[in-house]
Amino acid sequence: MSTMKKIVAFAMALAMCAVCFAGCGAKTNNYAAENTEFFIGGTGPLTGDASSYGISVQEGAQIAIDEINANGGLNGYTFKFDIKDDKATAADAATGYDTLYEAGMQASIGSVTSGSCDSFASKADEDKLFAITPSASAANVIENRPTVFRVCFGDPDQGYLAAEELSANFEVIGAIYDTSDPYSSGIYEAFAAKMAELNVEFNTQTFDAENKKDFSTQVEALKDCDVIFLPIYYTEAGTIAKTAAAKGCDALLFGCDGLDGIAGQLDESVTSEIRYITPFDAASTDETVVKFVNAYTAKYNRTPDQFAADGYDAVMAIFEAMKKANVSDVTISAQELCDILVSTITADDFLLKGATGEMTWDESGACTKVPQIVVLNSNK
Amino acid sequence: MAGYFKNVKNSFKLKNYIAYIVITAFLIVSASLALTGYMNRSTQNLLTQIAYSIILAVSLNLVVGFLGELSLGHAGFMCVGAYLGCFLANYLHTIIPSRLLVLVISMIVGGLIAAVFGFIIGLPALRLKGDYLAIVTLAFGEIVRTIFKNQKIFGGALGLSTKKYGSDLFIVAFIVVLLMLVFIQNLVKSKHGRAITAIRDNEIAAKAMGINVTYYKLFVFVVSAFFAGIAGVIYGHYATPVLYSFFSYNYSIEILVMVVLGSMGSINGSIIAAALITYINFQLTTKLSGDLAALKYLIYALILITIVIYNNAPGLASVKERLSIKPLLKKVFGRFIKRTNDPAKQKDDEADWDRIPTKIEMDAILSLDIKPDTTYAPDKREEK
Amino acid sequence: MSTFIDGLSLGSIYALIALGYTMVYGIAKMLNFAHGDIIMVGSYAILTTLLMNGHPVLAIIAAVVICTALGVLIEKLAYKPLRGASPLAVLITAIGVSYFLQSVAQLIFGAQTHPISLVHFPPVVIGGVTISVSAIISLVVGALIMTLLTLFIKFTKLGRAMIAVSEDRAAAKLMGINVNMIIMVTFAIGSALAAFASTFYVMQIPNTSPTLGSMPGIKAFTAAVIGGIGSIPGAMLGGVLMGVVEKISLSIPVLAPYTTALEFSLLIIILLVKPTGLLGKKRREKV
Repeated sequence: MSTMKKIVAFAMALAMCAVCFAGCGAKTNNYAAENTEFFIGGTGPLTGDASSYGISVQEGAQIAIDEINANGGLNGYTFKFDIKDDKATAADAATGYDTLYEAGMQASIGSVTSGSCDSFASKADEDKLFAITPSASAANVIENRPTVFRVCFGDPDQGYLAAEELSANFEVIGAIYDTSDPYSSGIYEAFAAKMAELNVEFNTQTFDAENKKDFSTQVEALKDCDVIFLPIYYTEAGTIAKTAAAKGCDALLFGCDGLDGIAGQLDESVTSEIRYITPFDAASTDETVVKFVNAYTAKYNRTPDQFAADGYDAVMAIFEAMKKANVSDVTISAQELCDILVSTITADDFLLKGATGEMTWDESGACTKVPQIVVLNSNK
Repeated sequence: MAGYFKNVKNSFKLKNYIAYIVITAFLIVSASLALTGYMNRSTQNLLTQIAYSIILAVSLNLVVGFLGELSLGHAGFMCVGAYLGCFLANYLHTIIPSRLLVLVISMIVGGLIAAVFGFIIGLPALRLKGDYLAIVTLAFGEIVRTIFKNQKIFGGALGLSTKKYGSDLFIVAFIVVLLMLVFIQNLVKSKHGRAITAIRDNEIAAKAMGINVTYYKLFVFVVSAFFAGIAGVIYGHYATPVLYSFFSYNYSIEILVMVVLGSMGSINGSIIAAALITYINFQLTTKLSGDLAALKYLIYALILITIVIYNNAPGLASVKERLSIKPLLKKVFGRFIKRTNDPAKQKDDEADWDRIPTKIEMDAILSLDIKPDTTYAPDKREEK
Repeated sequence: MSTFIDGLSLGSIYALIALGYTMVYGIAKMLNFAHGDIIMVGSYAILTTLLMNGHPVLAIIAAVVICTALGVLIEKLAYKPLRGASPLAVLITAIGVSYFLQSVAQLIFGAQTHPISLVHFPPVVIGGVTISVSAIISLVVGALIMTLLTLFIKFTKLGRAMIAVSEDRAAAKLMGINVNMIIMVTFAIGSALAAFASTFYVMQIPNTSPTLGSMPGIKAFTAAVIGGIGSIPGAMLGGVLMGVVEKISLSIPVLAPYTTALEFSLLIIILLVKPTGLLGKKRREKV
């Protein structure tokens, strides 16, 4: 039965390949030549385990685009934003990058997670495309890549900061981190190095992507600590807080910017005080923050987390820099725009007032902004 | 002499070579397009993805379709190849200037190391069967990636940063596909291939026929792991970093889906299914962006379920008959088809081992044998 | 000690999920990869009921009803047309169903993790060891459910018919057993067990997301194989063993990052020693 079937199938396969080639045009240096809007792209996990981060960034960035376009865009041109799903994998980030680049992407917000952003940024660096990642905080994402910037804090910085803060104020210190997550292990390693430098002892427990639902063991081991350092994301931290409550552990929980959003994960059972370093506080009365939070809540019907704020700021950074440089050519190539953006954003007088505070950038690509410490459940 | 060539001509079957012909033609066309700059990068990336998917699917088919053992850990071999091959490549780049040479060396080494792991996982296969073996292979894949994740030398949770080959990687990848096809097609057509399918059809009978079951089982796992390792190295040169999370059992299952959709034991089928599924995934990933991304798996799931139910549901057989274009083709190409339907000619048709009409079910013969406690009948008559 | 009890309670969750796998495998001879996602659906059923201000008991009932109905529906739509096809074809539909359920959950509830507060119990201290009450409840109720299930299978007509179908489907059919009905009942029971598993799950781990079911699902499947797939006491034993090993491994800092590897190595070692699992029946291979 199969000979003809297979020949037909092969004919179909050939036809399919022909379809792929149909999209190929002549080699061109400027894919943006036919743009009618400025095009900002990016990739992020929109499905799978990490999808909540990707979707937050997507929504935050969309709020920024809506705001920009509602105010008339730049020099009469509106902005277009497109984010491809990368399932937090390097391969899909590369696929998404090429598709966007060939569709005329002129500047990008990179990728959401560190692993895929490494892939995205390596391509952006080759093509000389401007990328400013909202949330890929691993040090290697921006290292030696002059066109790649970030909005969030770098992992090591937060680790050092936390080590200083905790060693100064607490006696018995514990830590729980995720060995499978670059963000978490990046902060933890810096933290551990600093603690060793300060000669302070502490206990460590770990978990990984395959075992991140139940934390009874880790909390059990650390329940006599005064403070537990949690360089992890809010979902797991929320579970840890609730597990601590169920286990009768009242240690203070101290985290980094990943803990932002934990308030939505807690319930009345949680009594431990929670503190975290964050540049973003949805309850802040700052004008930019209020504007962003209101727009976000109105559109998506939930409180934005730090990822959303970072996504918003990444788009705003691109927009403000373009506005400052007064880019008027909507068909500007990614390379030309990249030169303009890099020199504008690293200039001394460029300061972005975003949802995550006031930010400046230097040539390394790292962002300078003031961390604040948010305190929850401080009533006891 | 003339008679010899007559035989050669007769035994030449288009379908045995059609994969080579199509892939070679396709490779020449696409390579020339790419090298002259008429092919965009995302298409070249798609082709690379298709190439390593084909390698994975065909090599898995060797285990699942030909040896008849379910393996859910194919991504584990790929993981080994990707990490170790690319680790070596990172070092080689510092001493060898040619990127092609580095790729080839790391592919061979990555493949060989994966093959060693194939040997290790082949050992339980000697003792376990069916679903028990399947879960062991799944466990193997998970163990391998957990170990790599925790090694600082391979970048830990950040993954192993690799040097990308460039978008013309697909040319090398498709040459590897062709070489693999030559090897595997010849393997399954040889006496070794027949031994392997004999083990699949009935292990005890195969053993009774003097086939070295231990040797062949290990051999198939080793070969299959070797090619999966090579696919891993190609993957590592395609996307950086090599990250442990990519090689989860979900990916192994995706490869299995390609094999099953392409019909087990059919190499051409695996090639088509691998290309088709990679193509569908690529299109869904690139076309559905932003808010629509969540629909991706919904559509993918519906496509999968529909294809499987349509292809396999016994209740749909009559519908399929009606919709089939085969009768029409028979009318048009009747002359050619008649020849291939001749059972005598189909004997050496290995790709279709299951469907050979003259094949005798081993079970059917052997179940007729005499039970140990019945006495030999002819003697009874004399006893009365 | 506390770690051990945590392990037992996690193990009882694994055991409940593993029972679903093992029953479906024993009777329908298929790996139901969508089983983990039924747990996820159950947790969302609980979440929705609670959001509508439903009583926790009502939430549990809703989860059981929805999961059971879903299990039967999936069986009717996706697996029944493939009765008689190769088990691998069914496996792929099961994978498809799993993707389908996950993306539907993401479309309806979004990708973010939703906290669920089903019930709160203050921790109790027994002999200097603090133990969470929900752990004890899941342990006790889990054991109870498994005992009832064993009794059901051993002593009711329906249960014995299920054994008959799993032993020899053709012979069972000849004896007048409605095989399709038995398979449907198996799916219903397996899914109801999954609903209970999801209840205990959200009691101990009070949140849910669309991918909640995948890892517990695969671990429970491993547990079912360790115990000997098709065997009900085996599934319980395997589940508890997995839970305890996982918790003990996580409590030792050096081993903690390798926990998954350790669990799966345990599986491989057990299978190499006893190829049909701890309590699996050895089937004589016939030529």
